[in-house]
Amino acid sequence: MSDERGPWYLVTGLILGAALGLVYAWLIAPHTYADTSPASLQLEFKDQYRAMVALAYLADGNFLRAQARLELLKDEDSIQVLNEQAQRSLSEGAAPRESQALGLLAVALGQGGPPTSSVPLTQALALTSTPTENPQPSPTASPTVPSPDPLTPTAPTNTPVAVGTQSPAISRTLRSTGTPLPTRTPTPTLGAPFVLKDQTFICDPNLDGPLLIVLAESTTGQPLSGVEAIVNWEGGEDHFFSCLNPELGLGYADFAMTPGVVYSLRLADGGQPISDLTPAECETPRGERYWGAWQLLFTRP
Amino acid sequence: MRRWIWFFLAVLVGIAGGLYYGWQINPVKYVETTPATLRIDYQTDYVLMVAEAYQAEGDLDLAARRLAVLGETPPAEIVRQAMIYAAQVLYADSDQDLLGRLASDFQTWNPLLGAPTP
Repeated sequence: MSDERGPWYLVTGLILGAALGLVYAWLIAPHTYADTSPASLQLEFKDQYRAMVALAYLADGNFLRAQARLELLKDEDSIQVLNEQAQRSLSEGAAPRESQALGLLAVALGQGGPPTSSVPLTQALALTSTPTENPQPSPTASPTVPSPDPLTPTAPTNTPVAVGTQSPAISRTLRSTGTPLPTRTPTPTLGAPFVLKDQTFICDPNLDGPLLIVLAESTTGQPLSGVEAIVNWEGGEDHFFSCLNPELGLGYADFAMTPGVVYSLRLADGGQPISDLTPAECETPRGERYWGAWQLLFTRP
Repeated sequence: MRRWIWFFLAVLVGIAGGLYYGWQINPVKYVETTPATLRIDYQTDYVLMVAEAYQAEGDLDLAARRLAVLGETPPAEIVRQAMIYAAQVLYADSDQDLLGRLASDFQTWNPLLGAPTP
């Protein structure tokens, strides 16, 4: 009777043995668990590693080293990942320095090299985030970068412009060109608060929902990174910074508004608060409605 | 009896095949690891990044927190290990200086007080 079972018992033995071997190889004594690379880190630790790369870059300005370190993480799109992390760290209340370092490194990567600046990155950061610092004139005056925004001098009113016309005033792609970081230009009133130069309501169907856009620039028209904007509404407050979307410009910052909520905005460096900012709609010639954006242009006198 | 012998031989062959497959052909790929498992050169570079940031920020507590992801070893010891490796593979003098300064400050660092003690 047993002979009738044939050689199947051998197959059973093989399967049983293979299962035991795999359990041992995969679960009990896996190949290695040390000497891993940064690419294998948990997302949380990858973020921390990336933040350290950015902070080290901020400290020493060594772009090639930062680039090599980032490559260890094997991110598909380092610039995008850096930008997303900068936004995330801001929203999670991380130190602004970390967010700005991430943003600056993203800018440098986008430009294919370190930003053109006559000052170390740490000083450049301090220049934009702590306006009380005494400015030191730079021997190399940077060229004036013309503002890419064909802003029309509209009166500062919070009433949306005529519905039914799409304003060509801004195109997000206009800001995708790399521009140098603000250099330490000999402006004796660098610490003065920003002033609102222009307030425009923009109808652009490419914008993502109702937005509050802040553009910060120097008197020479150079976009300023790391400028902190504070937006308030009934029962809430949020902070956002320029340069977190460097592909839109170093001085660009935006905030997603909620329909029906009235906002006021001021820059952390001081200056006049802008109040009664409410999301408003635009309309295409075919009658389709979409959200527009308030664009506030601040300059430091 | 011979059947049992053959059966156990088949089990052994199966185990050998399973081990070969699990260790060589398709070994466990580690993802979701922690910095504590990083190879020594990556760990040293991480410590160097902390030292670079510390040079600019001057916040020893923050540096200690950043080093804590490398394990429960005291930060001074982590930096010391990094210094040893950096010396072995001939890091640049400036980098070794940075590590040395961080290690020196950790020598007098009191985690309870947070600041270096004289």
